[in-house]
Amino acid sequence: MAKLSLRNISKRFGDTQVIHDFSAEVDNGEFLVLLGASGSGKSTLLRIIAGLTDASAGDVIFDNLRVNRQSPRERDIAFVFQSYALYPHLTVRENIAFPLALDKFKGWHHIPGVSTIARRVFGSSKDIVKQVASVSSMLELDEYANRKPGGLSGGQRQRVALARALIRNPSMFLLDEPLSNLDAKLRAELRGEIVRLHRLTGKTFVYVTHDQVEAMTMATQIVILHNGIVQQHATPQEIYVRPANTYVARFIGSPPMNLMTADVTDGQPALGGLRFPAPEQLRLGNGTVTLGLRPEHLTVSADVDGPGLAGTVRRIEDLGADTLIGVQPDPALGLNMWELNQDDLLWIRQTGQTRLMAGDPCTVSPEARMASYFDSDTGLNLVSAGKDSDAGMLPTRG
Amino acid sequence: MTTQEAPPITQSAPHKRRLKAPGNRSFSKPARYVMLAALVLFSGFPLYWMLNTALSEDSELYGQAQGWWPHWERLADFGDLIGSVPIFKWLTNSVVIAGGTTLLSLIFAVLAGYALSRFKFYGKGAAGFLLFATQMLPEALLVVPIYALFASLGLLNGMGGLILANVAFTMPVSVWIIKGAIDAIPYEIEEAAAVDGCPRVTILSLVLTPLILPSIAAAAVINFFDGWNEFLLAKTFIAERDLWPASVGLASFIGQYLTSLNSVMAAALLFTLPALIFFLLVQRRIVSGLTAGSVKG
Amino acid sequence: MSLRTSISPPAVAQPPIQDAPSRHHMWQRISPYIYIGPAVVYLIIFMIVPVVQGIQLSFTKTPLVKPDGGTGVGLENYSRLLSSPQFYNSLGATILYTAATVIFAVAIGAGSALLLNQAFKGRTIVRAIITFPWAVPTVATALIFSWIFNRSDGVLNEVVGVLGVGQQGWLVDPKFGMAAVVLTSVWKVMPLVMLVVLASLQSIPSELYEATRMDGAGALETFKAVTWPHIAPTVRVVTLLMTIWSIRRFEIIYLLTGGGPVDTTNTLVVNVYRQAFSNQELGRAAAIGALGLVLSLLVTVVYFMMERRNAAKEA
Repeated sequence: MAKLSLRNISKRFGDTQVIHDFSAEVDNGEFLVLLGASGSGKSTLLRIIAGLTDASAGDVIFDNLRVNRQSPRERDIAFVFQSYALYPHLTVRENIAFPLALDKFKGWHHIPGVSTIARRVFGSSKDIVKQVASVSSMLELDEYANRKPGGLSGGQRQRVALARALIRNPSMFLLDEPLSNLDAKLRAELRGEIVRLHRLTGKTFVYVTHDQVEAMTMATQIVILHNGIVQQHATPQEIYVRPANTYVARFIGSPPMNLMTADVTDGQPALGGLRFPAPEQLRLGNGTVTLGLRPEHLTVSADVDGPGLAGTVRRIEDLGADTLIGVQPDPALGLNMWELNQDDLLWIRQTGQTRLMAGDPCTVSPEARMASYFDSDTGLNLVSAGKDSDAGMLPTRG
Repeated sequence: MTTQEAPPITQSAPHKRRLKAPGNRSFSKPARYVMLAALVLFSGFPLYWMLNTALSEDSELYGQAQGWWPHWERLADFGDLIGSVPIFKWLTNSVVIAGGTTLLSLIFAVLAGYALSRFKFYGKGAAGFLLFATQMLPEALLVVPIYALFASLGLLNGMGGLILANVAFTMPVSVWIIKGAIDAIPYEIEEAAAVDGCPRVTILSLVLTPLILPSIAAAAVINFFDGWNEFLLAKTFIAERDLWPASVGLASFIGQYLTSLNSVMAAALLFTLPALIFFLLVQRRIVSGLTAGSVKG
Repeated sequence: MSLRTSISPPAVAQPPIQDAPSRHHMWQRISPYIYIGPAVVYLIIFMIVPVVQGIQLSFTKTPLVKPDGGTGVGLENYSRLLSSPQFYNSLGATILYTAATVIFAVAIGAGSALLLNQAFKGRTIVRAIITFPWAVPTVATALIFSWIFNRSDGVLNEVVGVLGVGQQGWLVDPKFGMAAVVLTSVWKVMPLVMLVVLASLQSIPSELYEATRMDGAGALETFKAVTWPHIAPTVRVVTLLMTIWSIRRFEIIYLLTGGGPVDTTNTLVVNVYRQAFSNQELGRAAAIGALGLVLSLLVTVVYFMMERRNAAKEA
């Protein structure tokens, strides 16, 4: 059982700082996902927790023990690699039995030559064989027990790697993009498998991925990293509903949140003449604010005279159950689309199919109370930002 | 061993593909065949002549022209063929010396190759340079001081001392071969083993060594035949005829005519054959090892 | 810098944090030295110490029978060497032997690689036959060539006899000694050049040839434009290796001629050996050895300077 604390972790490789002053507390039994694009420092952070990489500064604390100086094996963790990292010369059974056999090693068993024999002898001992059999059957690996990793598919290999992690009953599971090398169907399947293992073991999982679907479906809490800096640490729901800043807003959700610059007059934001009710927590003066709306909080209709933002349908993506509609706002509205919006279109998600066609004029109506508001300078969410970022509460400009 | 296996030693696959590749056609057809024939004659004839001499009658060798074709029937009585040359005793010594050289050299090479491949440490550049530069030192120039050193340590006239001296010359190449092999193994496998509870030494013995076995085998063959062929140190260090390896023993017949030359050549063939077979098996590996080791530095 | 919103608020009162016990950290610092150490120590004892001792030895007069009981003579060994015609003869023999062996071995080796890079029936067998000599132990090589070159009963004299030339003492006539030794050496080392160059030739992408062919280039132009630029670095490296190895080659020469006839093949390394073990003068032998070492180093330095210039030219 371990509660994981990371205190002020920094990491530099030469001149580049890949992690800036990272701190987090993770209770036992949590499923923490470290989410970020490549180069965000998420894998490095995981390797620091595992002891595979040393932090430049800061402490890794398991319960109340600082483990900075401990080797991976002393930390009692299991690590699952993106590349599976199975032992190619051993059979599936031997791969799974490997950590248990090693647990039985005493000092002199590590002597070269002796270790080879010791691994075989311990690996075929009754208790280990029994445990291997039970873990294998749990992960449906029985029929491959005598194959070598080279004869397995990617999905099967990752199951073996999971089995090898599971069998040690470690205090913590660390998984580094374990599903990235698999195709979509297998990924969905193994996602369920990993969640099941998490419930079954009740242990802390720390899971690194760049895939927001994995993060949203598996995590009990998510840390979003960008260039080595934490953007938000919250539950999946919180992150979706109240993204801490525009980066998170754009990173989570597909298509991402629509962001636009809204003018604020006397504390009242307005978009293309459409007024938005200012949330109570907001004290806006005059100036601008970045306004965000998720695609599902917009509706589109062919009724050009209705209330809302006038525009033209440009793209239609029929996903079956849902349809995504890309609308170009009427230039006469003078709508200032946020620089990162894809194709300068407002994206709307609607259930079922649409009768609209590309080129049709239309009206987009927002569900105004669902809008998010971000500081147009710092990008911070003006509503959700907690105590840490009081400075973000004064968005007025001009 | 499946995914991580180094490319096979044999030369079949890439060549078959190459046959169809256009290649360069710098020579006209007849000229090419004439040149090839000359090359084959140049390279092949001495070996053929060794065989022919070994299988010729005593009477043919001196005074009259030696026949062009071997007397194959002489193979039937092999003991006769070898005559009074104590080649089997010498070959046994050669096996001991070459085997000892190989074993010791590989132990050093696996450890040092691992350090050079996987660690960053102070003095790594210097160690690499030492391993590169010592390859350049000529045996014949070192033989005098090594002789002086061994004389003062009482290591002369024994196979043990000879093995110690040989290893100094064979080890550097092996280190480069092993280092190259470990470089090609994904680091994650090692990290997985570290998480699973292996200290470094056990990672090396339980995980890496089995994975680089093909390269270790190639290095072993190279070392074995370095020890097998070695002449200078053996001749200098070992005076006693019974302790000679085959190289020194056979060399003692050069330019002397007390022993029948056909027997000497038959013994020389026995000495040559294992080297020929094994070298052809690992030919490719040796070529890449040599160029890698000496070019990389 | 951080924008975090912590889910679990920082605990107010926590038990003090202690370092977990570990022996790992100390090991991590010293373990590289444990692995590299044996090899380095070994090479220092058996390579570096002898080199240093050899240099020390070169300033002494030391008899073979008492290798550790020499008397210091300062630079006498060197001054005597540098004023003796025998030394310059030995230096000349080394240079002649090296130049001839390297030129023929590289030319024939590279030529056979070009020949073998083309498809023809029986190529595998031909390549094997051409490779054989490389695997033949040096002593066996010397044995067979000394028989081929034998004055009275050797097959070479049998062949030239057919051509109407009388018997020649290939290994005892000062006119032929060096040629015989070079021929034997080329026979032995040429396959390695061939294999290395062939490997390089086979790494040329065939698209390059197709492209030049479509441009209508002839065989010679193709060679100049595609083949040579690609194999040139390999040829240079192999030439360096051949040169260094030729300077230090001992066994073939010692076994075939022993440095004779009339010192025509008395190269530096053979000279070292004869001074040490025939004349029993370890000091003088070590001095020749030291000068030979300087020669090897010189070649290497020149090579690396040329490589640097080549690299600079390309950049």
